[in-house]
Amino acid sequence: MTAPLITSGALSPSYDLLFALLIGIGFGFFLERAGFGSARKLVAQFYLTDLSVFKVMFTALVTAMVGVIVLNRAGFLDIGELPLIGTYIVPMMVGGLILGAGFVIGGY
Amino acid sequence: MKTGFFHQEAGARPAPYMNPYIAGFGIGLVLLAAFVIAGRGLGASGAFASAVSAGVNLVAPAHAADNPFYQKYLSRATNPFKDWLFIEVIGVMIGGFVSGMLARRVARTIERGPNITDRGRLALAFAGGVLVSFGAQFARGCTSGQSITGGALLNLGSWAFTMSVFAGAYGVAYFLRREWK
Repeated sequence: MTAPLITSGALSPSYDLLFALLIGIGFGFFLERAGFGSARKLVAQFYLTDLSVFKVMFTALVTAMVGVIVLNRAGFLDIGELPLIGTYIVPMMVGGLILGAGFVIGGY
Repeated sequence: MKTGFFHQEAGARPAPYMNPYIAGFGIGLVLLAAFVIAGRGLGASGAFASAVSAGVNLVAPAHAADNPFYQKYLSRATNPFKDWLFIEVIGVMIGGFVSGMLARRVARTIERGPNITDRGRLALAFAGGVLVSFGAQFARGCTSGQSITGGALLNLGSWAFTMSVFAGAYGVAYFLRREWK
């Protein structure tokens, strides 16, 4: 499989950090477009006055998920090279609860 | 005179936000590009851990050498400017700033509800920041690395984390309503 391009050698590793910057720019651009530069808009999710956090997060997730499945079935993208994180259920849930509380206290 | 004034006012008004589904689709494509090009996902908290590890290594190398947490990040890159996630987060700041400038949303302000002082809001922002960074290290990731990236790859722990984030946030929201409403 030819992708991920850097891991397969199809793209020189010297471009790795350049793409890190470009991918970050794209991520930051769409986050701000969605209104996530505003703490009040983010926190509004938890007062049920604006559900943008939920809509943006799950649309992003499903879009990438479908893309990964299609590209993998097409024989292009190797899922084994993607960041699969092991399951540590208790620390992940405790960390999630703490982070969620901090999200509303701090305004992310 | 009056039309000119109004014209200027209309020009200075911030643009409306993008439809959340379109913005989400955009982030999904950026994440897919990260998978396809680099075999990595989006992240935020990892960049801070990497920068802190490099800072500790700089002022107290003996302490950093003894600590497995710092070593984990230092083994990737002793210079944070060569760390993928650190560079990606610099990109996030640039991208967010460019988007804010284009939409005329860049302003020097402290966002808060009408029932809290600036000082109170800043104190809570600091406390919340401590909790968020602690929680993210505990869970091996934040809403970028775990919820969106891990969620898209159907990692079980990432989904458990995401549901806990929403549970924790909804759980405390009532007690903090004076900060925001």
